[in-house]
Amino acid sequence: MSLTIYDTSLTSRLLIGSALYPSPEIMKKAILASGSQVVTLSLKRQNPAEQAGAKIWQYIQDVVTSQQGYLLPNTAGCKSAKEAVTLAKMSREIFNTEWIKLEVIGDDYNLQPDPIELLSAAKQLVDDGFKVLPYCTDDLVLCQRLYDLGCQVIMPWASPIGTGKGLMNPYNLETIRLRLPDATLILDAGIGKPSDACQAMEIGYDGVLLNSAVALADNPVAMAQAFALALQAGEQAYVAGIMPERQTAHPSTPTLDTPFWHQSMS
Amino acid sequence: MNIHINGQLLELVQAANTVADALTQYLTTENQQQSFAVALNGDFVGKADYHITQLKHGDCLDVLFPIQGG
Repeated sequence: MSLTIYDTSLTSRLLIGSALYPSPEIMKKAILASGSQVVTLSLKRQNPAEQAGAKIWQYIQDVVTSQQGYLLPNTAGCKSAKEAVTLAKMSREIFNTEWIKLEVIGDDYNLQPDPIELLSAAKQLVDDGFKVLPYCTDDLVLCQRLYDLGCQVIMPWASPIGTGKGLMNPYNLETIRLRLPDATLILDAGIGKPSDACQAMEIGYDGVLLNSAVALADNPVAMAQAFALALQAGEQAYVAGIMPERQTAHPSTPTLDTPFWHQSMS
Repeated sequence: MNIHINGQLLELVQAANTVADALTQYLTTENQQQSFAVALNGDFVGKADYHITQLKHGDCLDVLFPIQGG
């Protein structure tokens, strides 16, 4: 099975960030090890005297090309719809893509998306021909509104960016899956362990986007492989059909003809 | 004429009054070969418009480059 982002089919269900790695070389190896075909990146000011950004950009281009992959620029750092729309247009020109990971932050403490500004920016960008991948909270109504205005991909958070806390509200995330069966749902942010990614896939999510969990691991390359395997396991479990949870115990071993059966003698 | 470019004050040389002029003065030759995008006072300016977009005193120009992101 493949992940579909708008009209593009991908063999990997993992989307991966390019930040926070110990070195550009490790970033490149980790992304390759993950098997991901979608790499996120950003735009920032740069001192003209510094050339570090150019080197990173070259590494990202190399890895995406070798994976036959795609760039997914983000609007990180934006706090208003206007800022996000401007940054999206700048990204479209540089990266020659209509994809945009739309981030509009409403709170500095937990980097929680601002739902009002997010909806406004999403509407403007969809109207302008962008294929928007909004990063949002696990609020069902917000996800529904984003989907209704044309965002075919919705990316609710597992927990705040960079916390590694995993799925804070599995009920909310599962409800979004049940209520938006046709949306492409990608769990984004807060993933800490491969089991978190596996859990997302087990409840029917289409993919997972992460960065810190791999980049900040002791061994990012090995962790990238672990996440790739976890996503495969979770997807296969979802397809196989997970048994219903039960309140009471049921013996696995047949009780008929049990030896040493303690029968009442009275 | 003074403008702000990436938060820094820049005094443009005489006769320089377009986005293209400001970029030529601000960026190194190597920078100019790189991928970058521009916003003027918070609004996107496409490459095709650098030569025709006039600047005025006090304008704020942002010049952004690709960088790693999550």
